Formats: sequence, C-alpha cells, structure tokens
Amino acid sequence: MEKTVLSVSQALALVNQTLEYAFPVLVIEGEVSSFKTNQNKYVFFDVKDDGASLGCFMTIWQLRMPVEDGMKVRVVAQPKLTQWGKFSLTVREILPVGEGSLKRSFEMLKAKLDKEGLFDPARKRALPQLPHKIGLIASVESAGYVDFLTILSARWGGMEIDVAHVQVQGSSAPSQIIRAIEYFNGMSAPPEILVIVRGGGSLEDLAVFNDEPLTRAVAASRVPTLVGIGHEIDTSLVDLVADRRAATPSNAAQILVPDRREILSELGQKSERLTDRLSERVEFARQELDEFPRRAIERLSSQTELLKRSLQQQKRLLEQLSPKAVMQRGYALIRSETGDLVRGSKMTKVKKGDQLQIETDQAILKVGVNDVRHK
Amino acid sequence: MSDTSKKTLQSQLSELDELLAWFEQDDFDVEAALGKYEDGMKLIGEISDRLKHVENKVEVLKKRFDQDV
Repeated sequence: MEKTVLSVSQALALVNQTLEYAFPVLVIEGEVSSFKTNQNKYVFFDVKDDGASLGCFMTIWQLRMPVEDGMKVRVVAQPKLTQWGKFSLTVREILPVGEGSLKRSFEMLKAKLDKEGLFDPARKRALPQLPHKIGLIASVESAGYVDFLTILSARWGGMEIDVAHVQVQGSSAPSQIIRAIEYFNGMSAPPEILVIVRGGGSLEDLAVFNDEPLTRAVAASRVPTLVGIGHEIDTSLVDLVADRRAATPSNAAQILVPDRREILSELGQKSERLTDRLSERVEFARQELDEFPRRAIERLSSQTELLKRSLQQQKRLLEQLSPKAVMQRGYALIRSETGDLVRGSKMTKVKKGDQLQIETDQAILKVGVNDVRHK
Repeated sequence: MSDTSKKTLQSQLSELDELLAWFEQDDFDVEAALGKYEDGMKLIGEISDRLKHVENKVEVLKKRFDQDV
C-alpha cells in the first residue's frame, strides 16, 4: 500500500488528530515532580509513577488548589505532541488526591489566604436579624436543600427565597457556585444574605469548598454569606472566609431566623403575666375599698375619744367654778330679805339694821346687820 | 392602634415589652391599667396572627449557572 507523503507539520497534526480522536480525555493519577511556573502564567510539571513519567502543561488559572512536588494528583488532560514532538498532556483539571495530598494542599492555601487577611474576624459582617430576601445557592436535588427549607419554613415566614440551582459536587461545582454568587451580587436589588448549603460528602467532595477561586469569591461577596456545607470533621476554606459558618444546612436555618413557635409560646406567657398583674392590682384596690368602713370607724372613734376627754376637762373646770364648789371652800352668798344677791355696788346700800340672808354650803342664816365698815 | 402592616414586627415586640415593664411597677393606676391591658392583649393578638399565618415564597431561578454567559 502506498503511504501518503507528509510534511513534518502534517505528520504532527495527523498524529494529534488521532490522539484527539482516540483519547479526547485521559484521567491520570500520579505524583507531581519538577513543578515550576513561568511568568506567573504557565505551569509545567511531570506526573509520574514508579515506571514512567509524562510532562504536563496548564495555565495558572486552572490551578484551583495548590500543588507541589511529591503530591499525588489526579489530572484530566488531553494528550498531544508539541511543536517539537514532545509528548505533553494539556491539563484541563487538576486536584490533589488522597488524604495526605489534600491536607497538604489545603494547608498551603490556608496559609496563603491567612497571610492576605481573608480570615480576619474583623472582616466578618453580622447577619440581618429578620431577613426578607434570601439568596440560596444549593443543588435542588440534594437533601441539604430540602432540610434547609423545611427547617426554615417551620421557624419563620414572610420571606422571599431565590434559589440558584448549582452542582455542589464534582469539578464543575466551584465555577457554578461562583457564577451564582456573582449573579446575586449583581442584582439591582440583591438579597440581604447568601446561604450556601450542601449535605455531607466525602473528603474529595470537600475539595470543592477548598477551591481557591471559589473561596475568594465568597470572601469578596458584598452580600453577607452563611454557609452550611455539612461535614463534621474538617473546616473548609469557604467556612473560614464566610461571614458565618453553620455545621449543617439545618443548623444554618436555625442561625438565620428565630423560631416563631418559641415567640408564640412567650406571647402566651406574657399574656398570662399581664392578666395576673392586672388582677393583683384590682384585688389590691378592692381590698383597700373594703378597709374603708373599718378605717373610717377607727378614725371616728379616736376623734370621739378626743371630744370626750375635752368635755370631761371642761366639766371639771365648770365644776370648780360653780358656786357650790366655791361655797365648799368657805365662801358664802349674801342675799337681801327678798332673796336678791347683795354684791358689788349693792353692798354700799347696806346699813345698820338691815335683815340679810347668808347662804353657806350647809345652811342658810337669817342675820341682822350690826355695823357696816366700807373698805 | 395604628395600622399593623406599617409597624415592623420588631417594633411591635418592643412595644409589648414596654407595656409589660409598665405592669411590673409596684404601684400603678388601676384606671390606666385597664386601658393598657386592652392595648396589650390586642397587640399580642396581632403579633400572633402575623407569626402564624405568613408563609415563605420560594422561587428557583430559571437562570442556568453551568456555563459562562
């Protein structure tokens, strides 16, 4: 069979075409080595195992979590020959794999963001007390979404909740969540709070919430953020930069709004308290009224006592001044024969020979005047 | 009583707490108390209604987030 004669470029293109056709995508796990960046734009490294090694190329913006030599990573890449015939993998996605590498990558990124001040408590804003408009970012198919809305609606009403449906797992998740965050922030009337929820997942799934661009998007959101991404053990970077972190989607609902059932119960108690206080007061007033006759009588009788005593005093005075009392002390009344009292100026008319009556306390004497001497 | 819809729930709850504080005094006028009691009960009724009968409005946005605009 005759083979077509090709130029070098054509041969290269043909091989690349075949590669693209046969292996549009390869998913490869291996260890990173010879990692280097160029002009802060391009990234070169090798993935290797014990037997072999392949060169990789990507741009720095595709690096969603830090990677360094020695880390185990999973790359999603397209194989091709470079212009110079070098076999290279053009990386579309790359993430650390395995607990060790994930943890290491997480620590690297955490240190970097911490240094930039993204975890500073002073950055955190308070959540609105009774939000009217909420932006919810979640997968509508997930249990976390259902849990959050169920608990929220049991607790509180009257709110408007706009839901951005996104993937919360897998490599496309971070970009989708970023778009949702930017969409809500760009609304002419943005919600008062953004809530991002996800039910629990594996450690690999957590990588979504340690994604650098997503973490930065949450930190940069002008609308305050509340995240409830449901993993018990570890804190993700999104947890660290959000304004508030909840342990689970249900917990997020509890943090966000009060429980109207509690308030209704309190209202019942307050109603009882008001009634009790009013009854007490009315009862007290009624008792005061009942007391009134008794008190009035008490007052009257004490006044009567005073009057009595006063009268007694006056009686004693009068008694002392009465003629009888005076006569008992030895004085006598002098009357004329007709019985008229002789005293004062009448005394000057008394002359020798007059008949007088002398009344003492014991007897009445009829006497004649022998001699008169005026003082 | 002024129009409920104009007052926020917060202000209604504050108003109720002020009334309760008034009733906690040792000595308050019975006449005034009767009026305030009525106000308090009415307020409690309004707040209860407000809490019990209001639902949330949930809307899933039609916008897709799985591709760049």
